[in-house]
Amino acid sequence: MTPILEVEKLSRYFGGLAAVKDVSFAVQEQQIYGFIGPNGAGKTTLFSMIAGSLRASEGHIRSRGEDVTASPPFSRVKSGIARTHQIVRPFRAMTVLENVQVASHFGRRNITRTAAAREHAMQVLARVALDQRADTLSANISLGEQKRLELARALATDPELLLCDEICGGLSPTETNGMLDLLRQIRQAGTTVMYVEHDVKAIMAVCDRVMVLNYGQKLAEGSPHEIQNNPAVIEAYLGKAGGRKRGRSIA
Amino acid sequence: MSTAVFAPSRLETRTRALLPWALLIVLALLPVAGLTANVIRLCFITFVWVTTSLGWNLLGGFTGQVSFGFAVFYGLGAYTAALMIDRGVNPYISFVAAGVIPALASFFIGLPTFRLRGPYFAIATIGVSEATRVIMNNLSITGGASGFRIMEHRPFRQVEHYYTALAMAALAVAASLLITHSKFGIALKAIKQDEDAAADLGVNPYAHKLAIHAVAAAFTGVAGGVFARYAAFIYPQGVFAFQTSVYILLMPVIGGIATVWGAVLGGVVFGVVEEQLVANFPQIHLLLYGALLILIILAEPEGLAGLLGKLFRRLRRPKRKNGDTHPGSREAEQVLRRAGRG
Repeated sequence: MTPILEVEKLSRYFGGLAAVKDVSFAVQEQQIYGFIGPNGAGKTTLFSMIAGSLRASEGHIRSRGEDVTASPPFSRVKSGIARTHQIVRPFRAMTVLENVQVASHFGRRNITRTAAAREHAMQVLARVALDQRADTLSANISLGEQKRLELARALATDPELLLCDEICGGLSPTETNGMLDLLRQIRQAGTTVMYVEHDVKAIMAVCDRVMVLNYGQKLAEGSPHEIQNNPAVIEAYLGKAGGRKRGRSIA
Repeated sequence: MSTAVFAPSRLETRTRALLPWALLIVLALLPVAGLTANVIRLCFITFVWVTTSLGWNLLGGFTGQVSFGFAVFYGLGAYTAALMIDRGVNPYISFVAAGVIPALASFFIGLPTFRLRGPYFAIATIGVSEATRVIMNNLSITGGASGFRIMEHRPFRQVEHYYTALAMAALAVAASLLITHSKFGIALKAIKQDEDAAADLGVNPYAHKLAIHAVAAAFTGVAGGVFARYAAFIYPQGVFAFQTSVYILLMPVIGGIATVWGAVLGGVVFGVVEEQLVANFPQIHLLLYGALLILIILAEPEGLAGLLGKLFRRLRRPKRKNGDTHPGSREAEQVLRRAGRG
């Protein structure tokens, strides 16, 4: 079966610095595929290239076998790829509902009538438990709610592949658990999820496969269990294992 | 936007929907009421300014692309209509052309300049505008810098001009309202706030900017054409002047940026105030106008429409004591409910 996303030898240079270098992987349908790595490992750069907001310097991105490496972000949305932002970017002068309405209009559903788009947006808001806040200006809701709004907007484009960039960053443990439940529900509903997070526990809790990035390169890939016991990963996270530290695992 | 918080009753919504029609009928009956030619001329000029104000507001207000180059469209519309009417073409067909030509020109301007963002876009439009003025100053078929006199082989009837301008302004209002409440309009709003985030939701910002630029240019161009026919004499230093671009930009700013009625109000205030200032203080009218502008912007960044909205809300507040939910209390209630849940 063709993977839903195939990334082949993807690189991105900023001047002489390789933020992402020769990264290859494939994401299968209905997986939750996680990325972890220390600060500056290239996780967000990688996501931005897959979402189309950053051009790849080298390599290829294929969505269901179709090469989308050069296509702009709005056409990636049409081919079923949507993203959330690590630092929330709500349209602040618009209500929560209007924010999502944009996505209902211009996502894969391409709804023309405003009433229909509002109805669709309302359904999506209910999925992330934001329907109570529909008529509030998006600037006036809490950070946790803004994170859910990011998710709602991406979901309203009706994606096949959802890229979640640090969607639990800055959330309380309770809110984080709620968010992880949401991700599971989204996968249950048939959407494939790619998930970047600093919080290793969160990644290990929901992901089927995990990739570890370090200095822009793929360090390891495998099931959460394999990753937790991979010596190279432990070294990247905890430093070189001395006698005392032997046998420790991350998360 | 902010008025929506009040959840107006059905009667209120209906009254509000009828107001523009009432206004239109009153304006349509005005010439019959036997106004002096001077007042009718003032109304005519105001309709022209209202149209340009609405046009600019589509791009600058709704989409957030501040252009200092709308004199290009105004002037092109004026010259298109002037040349056609002078050659005996029906004036109304000429007005259509006065919309089409600037709309086409808007693509030439927009294709390169919309690659730029924020202040860089604004600066680029100044360059385009100045270049056009210099070209028009030296173009021989339009008489160059000495201007162009339109010989229309029809009797001059002021009332006809009045109704033409009124219809044009009404059309601009209707188009603006339709756009704000459409899929297209909501995309513009999103682009204004964060065009990258909008693109991540499937909106093509570049295409939307080009499209709304063309609509804005068309309205501005028709306004230029309608003005040219009335004035019967146009010259580059007038219609293509940088000052014209600034006037067109200032009206929606004064009136209330990004609202349809704010732009209308701005056009009306500009039309009337500028006229009075020029008549009474010919030497220092620009100075006074500038001072007025600074006052308005300092006192109320949302323009006159924002100021009126505030006054209106203050007047209504005491009436909402019993029964009806106060906006503040509704907000507080939501916060409390959330706090109880978490």
